[in-house]
Amino acid sequence: MPEPELIEIPMTVDVPYRFSAGHFMGRFLTELRDNGTFFGIRCPRCGRVQMPPRVVCAVCHVPNTDWVKLGLEGTLAGFTIMYLPLTDPTTGKPHEPPFAYGSVRLDGSDSVVDHLLHVTPEVAHIWVGMRLRAVLRPQKDRIGDLSDIRYFEPLENQQKPEPKPSRKEPSDAR
Amino acid sequence: MKRNVAIIGGGQTRHAARRHDVNQVELVNEAVRAALEDARMTMEEIDTVLLGNMEFFEGCHMTDCWMADGSGAYGKPGLKITTGGTVGATIVCAGAHHVASGLFDKVLCIGFEKQEEGDTGAILSGVAHPLYGRSMAGAAVGYFAMMATSYMAAWGAREIHSAMVAVKARQNARKNPYAHLKLDITIQDVLNSRMLAYPIRMLDMCPASNGACAMILADEKTARDRCEKPVWIRAMDSAHNEQFELDWRDVTTQKPIFSKVSAARLYRKLGVERPADYFDVFEIYEPATWAEMVWYENLGLCEPGEGFRMIEKGMTEIEGPIPVNPSGGVLSTNCIGASAMLRVWEAALQIRGDAGEHQVPKPVRRALTTAYGGTNWTVLMALSAAARD
Amino acid sequence: MPVEPFLVDQRITAQSRYFAGKTGSRFFTALRDHKKILGVRCAACNQVLWPPRSTCFKCFSPLSDSDLVEIGPHGTLLTFTRVHYREAVHPKKAPFIYGIIALDGADTGMAHFLDQVDFETLAPGLRVTAVFAEKRNADILDIAYFKPLP
Repeated sequence: MPEPELIEIPMTVDVPYRFSAGHFMGRFLTELRDNGTFFGIRCPRCGRVQMPPRVVCAVCHVPNTDWVKLGLEGTLAGFTIMYLPLTDPTTGKPHEPPFAYGSVRLDGSDSVVDHLLHVTPEVAHIWVGMRLRAVLRPQKDRIGDLSDIRYFEPLENQQKPEPKPSRKEPSDAR
Repeated sequence: MKRNVAIIGGGQTRHAARRHDVNQVELVNEAVRAALEDARMTMEEIDTVLLGNMEFFEGCHMTDCWMADGSGAYGKPGLKITTGGTVGATIVCAGAHHVASGLFDKVLCIGFEKQEEGDTGAILSGVAHPLYGRSMAGAAVGYFAMMATSYMAAWGAREIHSAMVAVKARQNARKNPYAHLKLDITIQDVLNSRMLAYPIRMLDMCPASNGACAMILADEKTARDRCEKPVWIRAMDSAHNEQFELDWRDVTTQKPIFSKVSAARLYRKLGVERPADYFDVFEIYEPATWAEMVWYENLGLCEPGEGFRMIEKGMTEIEGPIPVNPSGGVLSTNCIGASAMLRVWEAALQIRGDAGEHQVPKPVRRALTTAYGGTNWTVLMALSAAARD
Repeated sequence: MPVEPFLVDQRITAQSRYFAGKTGSRFFTALRDHKKILGVRCAACNQVLWPPRSTCFKCFSPLSDSDLVEIGPHGTLLTFTRVHYREAVHPKKAPFIYGIIALDGADTGMAHFLDQVDFETLAPGLRVTAVFAEKRNADILDIAYFKPLP
């Protein structure tokens, strides 16, 4: 007797959203769009500078009050080289692999921003601790979104530091 | 705990890449019937049903409402829970609260995922913050890849250490009839597999599985009357992270992150000084190999930066002194809504001595399980063969 | 510094597929291939359930292919409404009528469209019959709508 046919029914869910950025993100995105500036916010109790700015410090449970203007330079805290074609869901367009992206801690900020790294997508060219600067789109093209940042590029004249002293070879005979 | 809570039965499906033969309800029902059979109970005796999965992963909301036949929930009170990848354990935690409170005696907990049905990439991007994270949604693999580069830079670990974790997981899975990826692989196989996001290769990452797990929790009287080998839930803890923070992806962070906060509190509740001695087996939630090494450190099984040495020395093998994931872990089976519950169920099987070929070859009295959700929190559970000690 | 409300428009588009499962697959293939509507009978409850499923919701008995029974194509209208507003997700453009039909032989209702009917003549108790689509794809719209029995 033939195997019973197994039915599958395709569905597409396509849902539009409209988000209110709110007071804090609204200011952050407006400043980025109009002035090409990053703003963080500092907790008055622990002094942590949070980016993006937000209403309350999660650790101290107090309202954040002090806006802090940050520069465009920062340090790479983590990265990867992506070999999968990931689609940016906000544009529907894929980033062509391989491409590098990472988490950048802007000078003066305790938080990071994730973005594309404009660098040869090879391990020899990227390292934790690398110094970077944000390259923004021209003002006429900025819309008040993280994509107003084109990418982060390395500062000039840097070299990948020597790896940690190598240890004894691990045994892989198991 | 106000009242003691025991696991008196459970069941799981044979997790697989494809389950075209069943719909979501039927998948859940397989695990539910297995759990009822294991506990020698009928659905009529169950007081409440708690159900969970990754919200919208199958393109459906509120799965609990149209699953009430297969889950057995019809006519009964219950909850639907969605907390990301940690949901399986959150359900058990909620179930334990239900029993411990004295309001319910017999609770059915169900976790499932039918991943083949959904567009996980698109839906996972919906987890990211719409204004600050969505455009760069790197998916789970990107997240763990960043953890990996941070870990390698901080401590000098290398890709071969990741491969060791990958081999342990899939070789353990070969001893687990329910696991999805039962692979007879070597370190070289892992290092030869396709690179997804540096340094994470295909074999370093968990699969997408279709599967379900169900567990029955009960009060002490029911457990003593009905169950030969109850497994007691002795303590639980969970902790959220703040969003937008690097946390796990920056292994050198000094911030009090979810895994460390939760472990410290749980150990304090139980008076644990040396977790590697206190617990006999660990089932941890590792979507990627690097997460396992970081869990070793965050749980205090070794010093910070020493996680990769533990796997190097074989300390966490099934026959090792600190067995971790004898079931094969999430690396071998990841039906997300069930995965965290499978950690608890597999730990319970170890305490019962019912894990068959993947039973750790030493007496198991106490186990620790962890979970992890992309929503940035965890649920830790401590299980014991004894209700009190 | 007062800031204008900042609103961001985005979309999420997700493709998924629902596996009908054991009894579900039977139901849809019967619609497509034979223009037959199937329900499932729980012997313990002596009830016929639509849609067909693998567990009885009332008594938790397992149900299988051998419990499938043909129901309809005629039925009795239980309730109905006419929808006037438009949503992208609606399979038909408003205004349209839909209702709940108790198919002959079934103890639970089916929600479906009503057409070829004057709205003012609709009332609970009306006898209706299924009209099948010319082109059928093994989904619920293989039944195009229900119309009053002459």
